[in-house]
Amino acid sequence: MGATSFPELQAYVQDPLDPQKPIVPFFAGTDQIPAHVPPELVKTCGLMFSPEFLAAPHDFMAAMQDNYPPIFYEVTPFRNSWFLTKHEDCLFVLRNADIFRNLEASPFPREADDYFFFIPQEVDPPHHRKYRNIVDPVFCPAGIKQIEALIRQRAIDIIEGFVDAGECNFNTAFGRPLPVSVFLDIMGLPQDMRDTFVEWGDTMIHSQDPAEVGAAFAKAIVYLRGAIAEKKANPDGGVVSLIANAEIEGRKLTDKEVFGFVSFLWIGGLDTVYAALNNIWLWLAQNPDRVEEIIARPDDIDKVVEELLRRYSVTFSTRVVMKDIEMRGVLLKQGDRVLTILPSANFDPEVFPNPLEVDFDRPRKTILAFTVGVHSCMGGHLARMELKIALQEWLKRIPKFSVKPGATIEYKPGGVVGPVAVPLVW
Amino acid sequence: MPKVTYVQFDGSQQTADVPLGENVMRGALYNGIEGIAGECGGAPSCATCHCYVDDAWTGVVGGPATSVEAELLEAAACEVRGESRLSCQIVMTEALDGLVVHLPETQF
Repeated sequence: MGATSFPELQAYVQDPLDPQKPIVPFFAGTDQIPAHVPPELVKTCGLMFSPEFLAAPHDFMAAMQDNYPPIFYEVTPFRNSWFLTKHEDCLFVLRNADIFRNLEASPFPREADDYFFFIPQEVDPPHHRKYRNIVDPVFCPAGIKQIEALIRQRAIDIIEGFVDAGECNFNTAFGRPLPVSVFLDIMGLPQDMRDTFVEWGDTMIHSQDPAEVGAAFAKAIVYLRGAIAEKKANPDGGVVSLIANAEIEGRKLTDKEVFGFVSFLWIGGLDTVYAALNNIWLWLAQNPDRVEEIIARPDDIDKVVEELLRRYSVTFSTRVVMKDIEMRGVLLKQGDRVLTILPSANFDPEVFPNPLEVDFDRPRKTILAFTVGVHSCMGGHLARMELKIALQEWLKRIPKFSVKPGATIEYKPGGVVGPVAVPLVW
Repeated sequence: MPKVTYVQFDGSQQTADVPLGENVMRGALYNGIEGIAGECGGAPSCATCHCYVDDAWTGVVGGPATSVEAELLEAAACEVRGESRLSCQIVMTEALDGLVVHLPETQF
């Protein structure tokens, strides 16, 4: 593999008005390792899929700090990529959007001859900020504060539905319905679509069968397209309407822009909050003394949320290298993929000493739960608010709970890290 | 609408309308003013909207609003001084109309 210069990638200019599929080099497996990768940095650590990872994923990602070089080249049958685990290096990659671009970031399939971008995730500067400005008033801290009471009511209603039963499967009873319910409120879509959206989302994210994923995605597409048309005809205060009727520099968004934006918000908020809630409730159920501590410190709830997001970060962020660059003496070449292992970077002992310890009194540092840089998660404030409200309303009603005796905890393989089921009793 | 003047590290400056209740970080982002990253969006959980409040305004604006802001400021990329603030934590009021902030050389 001597050819590591990619003129088509170098020449790629992103035009949201004429979205073209970028030509991103693809390497997979042991026979597609570029020549510039030193053999001693070639690894197969098994992140996301190996039995060792799935046995205890966060412990695994903390141990990566000791068991692997800070930058190494992961080889798998799915896709080869540089893996980065140092906090400092992840910040560097995520903050230099001109060198490390967010091309083909979403795994969801699109036709090359009818391509669209998932917005704003796959749109880099200089266009990125224009889209963020459309929805920032809703997703900024002050905007989220305005819907705090509504989110709280959704959380209360869901909990009151099962509190008397004395047990639940947390994932299906609370972890899934809360974020979907809040998504529908924010988007201006009806609550009676909740269970349908839950089902589509579960299939899209969990199914191993590409045909099933495609079918679920297609159903969501049909629904969202219909909703967009309806909101163009009858604008309201929801985000679908906001995007469908938005203007950038004096022009309306194109149909592809509107669709790519709305469908990205649907995908983006779906599984991450779900997984974070599941991870955290498992930890709470196993640590009753820490639950008491959280209840005893109501004024410190923001610190609690931030530390739990650090300790239980759930996802990763990939970039394409646009020009050759050396990091820690390792040459990353144009066309290479990098993956920032965000949960591992949140265990970097140079930044977070004794990293596995949950310590609500840690000095505030930049956590990587939501990445950093221009692509920093726009739903971060919403996620924090959902987590805060979930903790407050749950612990008010169910202050003592534990994992159902005999239950075994298994983790879901893939790019969003969390337990498959968290059966609880109280 | 109240105005904020952003003075870049190279001395160039831009003045923008920033609505009452909006913060100084977002005022820059909405108006395409460089020099403030604001990458966490005002959580606050980073220190990439660091600014130096102009000497004439430090008395009105005051120091860090919370201990969290003070802790985050310690991690700012450029020198932290007495007049340093995270601009996401400066919320516009009538009293701040005409505010001048100076931006550091870099936010990273």
